[in-house]
Amino acid sequence: MRVLVVAEKSGGQVRRVSQEIAAKAASFGDVDVIAVRGERYSPIAWSTAVAEKAKASGAQLVLIGATINGRDLAARAAAKLGWAYAADCTDLVTKEGAAEAKRPMYAGKIHATVRVPLPGFVSIRPGAWTLPVGAAAPGVADIEPGPEDPRLRLDRFEAAPTGGKRVSLAEARTIVSAGRGMKGPEHWKLVEELADALGAATGASRAVTDAGWRPNEEQVGQTGKTVTPDLYVALGISGAIQHLAGMTSSKVIVAVNKDPDADIFKIADYGVVGDLFEFVPAFTEAVRKVKAGG
Amino acid sequence: MRILVCVKQVPDSTVKVKVAGDRRSIATEGVTWSISPYDEYAIELALERKDADGSTVVSVVTVGPARSRDALRQALAMGCDDATLVTAPEDLGGLDVAKALAAVAKELKPDVVLCGKQASDDDQGLVGPALAEALGWPHVGMLTKAVPGGDAIELWREVEGGHEVWKATPPVVGLVHKSEKEPRYPSLPGIMKAKKKEIPEKTIESLGVAPIAQRLEVLLMEPPPQRGGGKIFKLDGDAKGVAEQVAKALHEEAKVI
Repeated sequence: MRVLVVAEKSGGQVRRVSQEIAAKAASFGDVDVIAVRGERYSPIAWSTAVAEKAKASGAQLVLIGATINGRDLAARAAAKLGWAYAADCTDLVTKEGAAEAKRPMYAGKIHATVRVPLPGFVSIRPGAWTLPVGAAAPGVADIEPGPEDPRLRLDRFEAAPTGGKRVSLAEARTIVSAGRGMKGPEHWKLVEELADALGAATGASRAVTDAGWRPNEEQVGQTGKTVTPDLYVALGISGAIQHLAGMTSSKVIVAVNKDPDADIFKIADYGVVGDLFEFVPAFTEAVRKVKAGG
Repeated sequence: MRILVCVKQVPDSTVKVKVAGDRRSIATEGVTWSISPYDEYAIELALERKDADGSTVVSVVTVGPARSRDALRQALAMGCDDATLVTAPEDLGGLDVAKALAAVAKELKPDVVLCGKQASDDDQGLVGPALAEALGWPHVGMLTKAVPGGDAIELWREVEGGHEVWKATPPVVGLVHKSEKEPRYPSLPGIMKAKKKEIPEKTIESLGVAPIAQRLEVLLMEPPPQRGGGKIFKLDGDAKGVAEQVAKALHEEAKVI
């Protein structure tokens, strides 16, 4: 089967999720890896280019990372071609002219297996497929974007006050998230210091983003981001069902909360009951020590 | 300006979801149905335009089973002006839903169509872009703000590190991630008014939509794997000791740091 992998680049580098997919794709058939040339994603120009390439290459299966842009592109390109599309999948097998994909539904409250008739598009959640250690970077062929729609143009980019300096939440292998237990935005230095020690992205509960303590883009959970890092540290988050839905597939969960009955402890691998203002600075120090090899 | 908001009725996101006996669908007994949260944000964005300019007309449409009428009634009670119900089987594929919505949009001729970025049941995010494709319009996803100005409308798209600000000359489809304000609750007069409004009902056949085969078929639904049985530490005045134990466990047992 011909497989087309649509890679995304960030700062000239192939994104990790695209590498994960390219590494796995060989198990489905003959793989071409492409990327659309250009600094910023454009919904019309990029989806047109990918749809044309998918058709021309005879691909049966088109794979792309389930990132913000990847999901946008796959949906529009699939619609252009009238092909099936399965979004945000965590695994995939191919079977007699179809693919079977695993995908979370109901914000992760249900895990479904769906049949995807081929040809079709499948977007794959970052981190769902482990990048083999020492995997060679995939060879990527650049394609030109299609024509823009004259009715739509990118006017400018408005950077978020906290944006840009940290790892992207969706692809981060480690996340430190904090909730109302932090008592106020002025205490976020504690969160950031721990995140720096761990090399982590920072996340937040909805209560915190709704209160304006943190930007919306940090919200983890239903109506925010669904994340699947190797390590998720939840500080002062009680664990509303919508938050749990967004992070329960993390490999290892550490929770710190002063309420021993908090729901977050039901899914935590390591739970710390107590005052986070005492624990977090000590933990940051302990992490630094471990990382330094002592 | 005329805005058309497309909504889907889904199980309320604050309740637990259980797999039905057939293991291919969810148990609907006792389920509370609501408008998908992202669609509620879309309604809020549309109604804010109407608050700012009283001449704005906000229409709402859904494609789904007959019970979806309640979602439209709720949208009317929030302040939408009119509603259209397109009845269709629940397992209608996303591309076909988009075609049905496109047929309604062609009748209503909105300047802007807003949808939630995905429905909170299947979490697909296909219908919005597919609707734009069916209409031959551009789309912008991950919207958090829509600001009209002159001939163009500014669409704020949340991406990593900030917002892309797109300028669109209508017609355009916007896929809403979030509104700045929480979606408003229906007011009592709104509820009274909504009760009296007629909601015309169409079928997908009457809109000329013949379902195609290119849709996903659910083979199996399962609850997520159970977690638990984790280690619990109590601080008891020894934050340093506990911190070192946890860091050590993450390093040696879990091997994640």
